[in-house]
Amino acid sequence: MIATLSFLTRRLSQGALIVFLAALIVFTLLRIGPGDPARMLAGGLSDQASVDALSKQMGLDDPFIVQFGKYIGGIVTHGDFGHSYIRSENGQSVGGGHGDSAGASNRASVISLILGRLPLSLALAAAGLGLALVISAPIGIWAGLRAGKWPDSVTIMGSSILVSMPSFWIAGLLVLLVSIKLQWLPAVGYSGPKYLILPAIVLAIEMAPIFIRTWSSAISSMTRRDFIRVAPVRGLGSKAVFTRHVLRGAAVPFINTLGVMLTSLIGSLLVIEYVFDFPGLGKLTVEAVMQRDFPLVQAIAIVISTFFVLVNIAVDYVSGLFDPRLDY
Amino acid sequence: MSSVTTNPAAAKPAQPSTRELAMGRRIWLATRSSPWFLMGAVLFALLLIMAVVSVFVFQVDPTKMNFVDKFSPPMGAEGAKSQFPLGTDQLGRDMLSRTLVGLQITFLIGLTATALSFIIGSAVGLYAGFVGGKIDQILMRIVDIQMSIPPIILAITILGLARATPALVISVLVLATWPNYARLTRSGALAERSQEYVRAARVLGASNIRIILLMVAPIALPPMAFAAVFDLARMMIFECVLDFLGIGLQPPTPTLGVIIADGRKYLMNAWWIAVLPGVFLMLLLLSLNMMGTALERARNAVFEGAK
Repeated sequence: MIATLSFLTRRLSQGALIVFLAALIVFTLLRIGPGDPARMLAGGLSDQASVDALSKQMGLDDPFIVQFGKYIGGIVTHGDFGHSYIRSENGQSVGGGHGDSAGASNRASVISLILGRLPLSLALAAAGLGLALVISAPIGIWAGLRAGKWPDSVTIMGSSILVSMPSFWIAGLLVLLVSIKLQWLPAVGYSGPKYLILPAIVLAIEMAPIFIRTWSSAISSMTRRDFIRVAPVRGLGSKAVFTRHVLRGAAVPFINTLGVMLTSLIGSLLVIEYVFDFPGLGKLTVEAVMQRDFPLVQAIAIVISTFFVLVNIAVDYVSGLFDPRLDY
Repeated sequence: MSSVTTNPAAAKPAQPSTRELAMGRRIWLATRSSPWFLMGAVLFALLLIMAVVSVFVFQVDPTKMNFVDKFSPPMGAEGAKSQFPLGTDQLGRDMLSRTLVGLQITFLIGLTATALSFIIGSAVGLYAGFVGGKIDQILMRIVDIQMSIPPIILAITILGLARATPALVISVLVLATWPNYARLTRSGALAERSQEYVRAARVLGASNIRIILLMVAPIALPPMAFAAVFDLARMMIFECVLDFLGIGLQPPTPTLGVIIADGRKYLMNAWWIAVLPGVFLMLLLLSLNMMGTALERARNAVFEGAK
């Protein structure tokens, strides 16, 4: 219990530092890049004086350190990630010289934008990941127990082919086949759970082969261990050996892979949501970058690196439960 | 319960002589005989030769438009024209030469980026693991921070701000990947650091750099070859994804990602524009994944057998 507590405090404080530095790096990158947000918000036809005034009002004239300090201060003291440069509360674009006042009042708060898109992304992630896990476990374990024989070879071949299909390409193929030719499922956008199916399948195709590989190599390497080989001598039935020793031992590599996949999930979601025009966090991210909506990009970067850090801590903790020899 | 080993090579009785060979050599021996590796290598070589030879052989300009022949279907389909084996796109550009130029770009960027991140990452990892202490801690914290920024966020932040050039795309890929190598090699170097031969070399007056380059690197690096092969595949996908999202290399440069993004608009009436370049990309990735799998399995078999 004490060990767990000290592990958590140590890793969480390290994690907070890492997220802080990641925020600093992204903040810096956005500031040193080209493009003036004040000019963009005021609109291309505004005169220099109004651009300058807006820039002053937004605090863009402050020294870098002051800007960053205010930003982090706002987050820490009252969870304020700032307001979008582009989007208004009612979902319409503001700024860009439409003549409306670009005050903070009618611009959407970044946090509400993110929270609005998050549920759809989570649903897609859960559906895709769930599908991948359900498919991969039986196949991987089945192949792992028959290492070196034909099931193993077929599985290697199959998962190599699947893992070699880029998601943006396979998405196009599926849309062509299922939506255009057969007209079974809707292809793009979102208006109902039906729209989850194709993106979730693409996500599962991307992830399942990696889980299959992890299961099969972990299981086959466990069956080679001496303590598994001699287990029948101790009078254990093959079922008991499998559930108590082989599966338990293979769980650690599986959890590690799950952690890696959870972190790479973000990149996959981004591409898949973009391809399917699926209104989740990934599509929001691409749009925010394209529109140079700095506050939104920063906040998304912070949210995602926090997620990264938490997943890594969870993976190390859970691995320790399965294999007490691992020192966390 | 099956007790058969995974790799055909490892299933043979271990000859006493291989025990004395260096780790890297043993992994290579076990890899070489794997059918997966052979198939992957042949496929990879074929694609590489196609990409290289096409530089000299094809005189068709991949950006040359030809409105008379636009949307010409590929070989085998109805109405195909023999001078365009993979058909033409919406502007009548030859798909075969476009695909091959795309393949060249993918090879160039993937190989350069993988080589650079391997070199940078393993230099940092070897040095950190070998020297230890404060330097090690500082370097590894940098690695941690770098790894906590999701690669895709890093990539779109940088590429969203600046105009993408091949050099910039390569830098982004390297920036996103080098920490992996640093982590992997560090643990290898850490294990070698207190070995007798290292101490002996030190007593003889060898410098750190000399020991690292001549003694530790040849032991710690070969087991990572599999990671580099998988990474090459990952880099190639990543590059295509960036082009596809429209933040990587831009049209009219015919990279595979650009072509597929372009062809998506014409899926309904000209499926081949998006589909066929993807087949080439898939074959390339498949060849790498097969080689990587063979290397990884050989490495695991050698390491587990060596215990």
